[in-house]
Amino acid sequence: MHDLNRPAPLPNPSDALFALRGLSYAYPGDIQALRDINLAIAPGDRLGLVGHNGSGKTTLVKQLCGLLQPQRGEAFYKGEKLRGDHLQRARLEIGLLFQDPDDQLFCHSLIEDVAFGPRNQGLPAATAEVAARRALEQVELLDHAYKAPHALSYGQKKRAALAGLLAMRPEVLILDEPTANLDPRQECLFLDLLRDYSGTLIVISHDLLFLYELCDRALVLDTGRIHHDYGMRELVAHRPSLREHGLDFSFRFAGNEKDPSPRDNPAPAAMPESSATPASSTPLIELGGYHFSYPDGTAALKGIDLRIHSTERVALVGENGAGKSTLLACLLGIHRGKGFYRYDGQEMDNRRRKQLWNRVGLVFQDCADQLFCPSVFDEVAFGPRQRGYTEMEVERRVAKALRQVRLEGFEPRVPLKLSGGERKRLALAGVLALDPEVLILDEPTAGLDPQGEELLLQILREVKATLLLVSHDMFFVRKLTERTLVMHRGSILRDYPTASFLDDSDLASLNGLDYTYRDRCAIEIRQIQHEHEHEHLHKHLHEHQHRHGDLLHSHPHEHEHEHRHRFRHSHDEEGGHSHPPQREFHDHPHPGHEDEPHDHEH
Amino acid sequence: MTPQPIILPGWSLAGGLLLLLLMGGASSWGIRRLVRGARQRRKGEPDWSLPQLDGATAGDSPIHRWEVRCKLVGMLGFAFLVVSLQDLRTAAVAGAITLSLLFVTRLPFDRSLARLLAMSGFLGMFLLVMPFSAPAHPGDTLIQFGNLESLPWNLRGLHKAATICLKACAVALLMEPLLATAPLTRTLQGLRRLGVPAAIGQMLLLAHRYSYVFKHEAWRMASGMRLRGFQPGSNRRALGAFGNFLGMLFVRSFERTERVYDAMQARGYRDRFPEPEPQPATAKDLLLAGFFLLLGVALLLADRCYFSTF
Repeated sequence: MHDLNRPAPLPNPSDALFALRGLSYAYPGDIQALRDINLAIAPGDRLGLVGHNGSGKTTLVKQLCGLLQPQRGEAFYKGEKLRGDHLQRARLEIGLLFQDPDDQLFCHSLIEDVAFGPRNQGLPAATAEVAARRALEQVELLDHAYKAPHALSYGQKKRAALAGLLAMRPEVLILDEPTANLDPRQECLFLDLLRDYSGTLIVISHDLLFLYELCDRALVLDTGRIHHDYGMRELVAHRPSLREHGLDFSFRFAGNEKDPSPRDNPAPAAMPESSATPASSTPLIELGGYHFSYPDGTAALKGIDLRIHSTERVALVGENGAGKSTLLACLLGIHRGKGFYRYDGQEMDNRRRKQLWNRVGLVFQDCADQLFCPSVFDEVAFGPRQRGYTEMEVERRVAKALRQVRLEGFEPRVPLKLSGGERKRLALAGVLALDPEVLILDEPTAGLDPQGEELLLQILREVKATLLLVSHDMFFVRKLTERTLVMHRGSILRDYPTASFLDDSDLASLNGLDYTYRDRCAIEIRQIQHEHEHEHLHKHLHEHQHRHGDLLHSHPHEHEHEHRHRFRHSHDEEGGHSHPPQREFHDHPHPGHEDEPHDHEH
Repeated sequence: MTPQPIILPGWSLAGGLLLLLLMGGASSWGIRRLVRGARQRRKGEPDWSLPQLDGATAGDSPIHRWEVRCKLVGMLGFAFLVVSLQDLRTAAVAGAITLSLLFVTRLPFDRSLARLLAMSGFLGMFLLVMPFSAPAHPGDTLIQFGNLESLPWNLRGLHKAATICLKACAVALLMEPLLATAPLTRTLQGLRRLGVPAAIGQMLLLAHRYSYVFKHEAWRMASGMRLRGFQPGSNRRALGAFGNFLGMLFVRSFERTERVYDAMQARGYRDRFPEPEPQPATAKDLLLAGFFLLLGVALLLADRCYFSTF
């Protein structure tokens, strides 16, 4: 259907949709975010924008939408500079999805919000409402059209923000970490919508598994510069580049997905078949018939029965809105429900609830919620000081906690200025400084790059406390826990060993924990990254002493010859192999090759 | 000439204060229970695919159908006239009128009760303090507790305080029919069409939306502090931590305002929020506005000309 009231797309006299030439940008305080960027993006490109936290990805997309103006160089959209009227028109064709959906939902109800863009495109109210309804239907939120944005769950907000863009029918869609903290069902919905999207797609993400099928081009940014402009398959195949930019997620392939390697701590010996809970001894945490309802009457927990023993490592999984965070809040004494709650065999009363912080620690999903001090030292020292330790003891605990999370030497730094991964580890240090008996982690990998994830995994494996992990990341669940609780609509649906959980084929239909897409991508990437030594004829640039008749000299030259090498490659059924194009220059030993006659242009 | 006070034993002051406190506590508890009960009775998700004002059972009253500019002029005009009243009886009539509006609109009573509860502490102080602080005029009824000659209790002060409380309640009760019978965007559109600068309407809209986000963010940060042992207090350490908390909340809110503005610009915002189609004002709407203003004027005239002679 064509909306006659919508402005006609801007004409594009050039080949490129976006062209950035020598673009640089620095934030106040001389923080150089982009340096000499030269980039062309063609209509229909599907581009993954990757790199370390703080490498300049968000600044780059803000330049593409004209939210920031270049300080040096130029930014063009459809052949014209992004400024003035052209910028205003361009904004109506470029959709930008922000990382935090609350930034993007600023109206009174969902339908008003989704219609905001179409109304700015000049559509009358009634037509804009039709466009908004269509977009809400696409993201499966039509039945929430008149709900206030603050009353939506995080996943619903994220989908609503996307609907706000889809309603504008943008020619370009730019997404900043679109799937962070989403459960697999909502992630699948995003994937389906983005696969069907026919315009130019630019996605910022650390999640190469998500980007793998969605994008065909990968742009790697490092300290504000474009380091690589690869095909996506090339990037995932090239482990040295991935490692260089903190994107190497190959640690996730260390064990066989279908035959999970057990975590470092052995599972309890006498584990019953139906449940992973050890039968004997007093549980550290015990909930019985536990219910909790919010003041508006929403029943968030319904008859929870749960026993967690000391040193157990338990995963809590379930779709967004299943009640996981509410359960954590109850365990921590933030919420108080009906039913019994015993900690270390003692009934939880008001006095014990107030002292629970001494024994249970929580690392929040958004670590900014627990960082409020002016320095890293003060941040970690906050808890020990509240306990009334001497300053010497406080210093000892701070040093130990910072060492545990690999943040030694960060003491005087300002938490607000740290990268996402460093802040997450700082939040963890703040909790570890109190030596908690129970450590609760709420989506610890959200927003981390693969390097940060790998480091966090190492740290968490060394922690000796009883662990309760809330995560959608099955790799972390597999590596860190031996028992899994599956939550659905406020109840615990399954309680079994993690190995059984990972083999449970019912989960997709049960509560949307469908990891098929990720598993498929992972298998494919592993095949691409497959490497061993092999040889065949190929042409590349190399430099060595060589002879032209009587003339002996050395310079970079190119000709075809056979030699042994190690490349990521795949095998076909006939026994042949193929790999993506390799670097033009590479060196290798040339026994006898120097004396062979060389014939090439000089 | 200062009127002669009625002398009551000293303990009756303590008894009266205690009784007042108990009554205040009990009514506050009762209202809380009522509000909670009403909310729980309403549990179960409404059908969010329909506009809530039209879809609700209460969505079809004359007040709901009233053109928003006329409603603003009529009701706000009435509210201004009500606050000018000086007599307890006219204030009581104004209270009865606004209460009857709640029945006409069939809006849930718990929200108005919660509003009244929020004001109750402040109004309670008026009831408690004004009888002791009102200057004695000839003809006043005074009560003296024991030997407390310098602190007579004046019935005229209680009248004054009760009048203020009734006027405050009347205006508070009026807010629900005024604000809950049209979507906020339409009410703000009405304000703009009445000449209020558009920027004020936009600020109100954004403040309403982000007050929830701010509240949630503050709650999460406060939980984060509590889970690491923070105990509120007035010592240097607690005040320092509280200062850090406020500072961080400010920094986060400031950063969010920049991101929200970016998001608005990225979707084509050019200094003006899209508004619903303007609602035309009919003769009926104008008549209703005129009726409310006349009602207010009539109350004021009665207050000044009729009741003042008593």
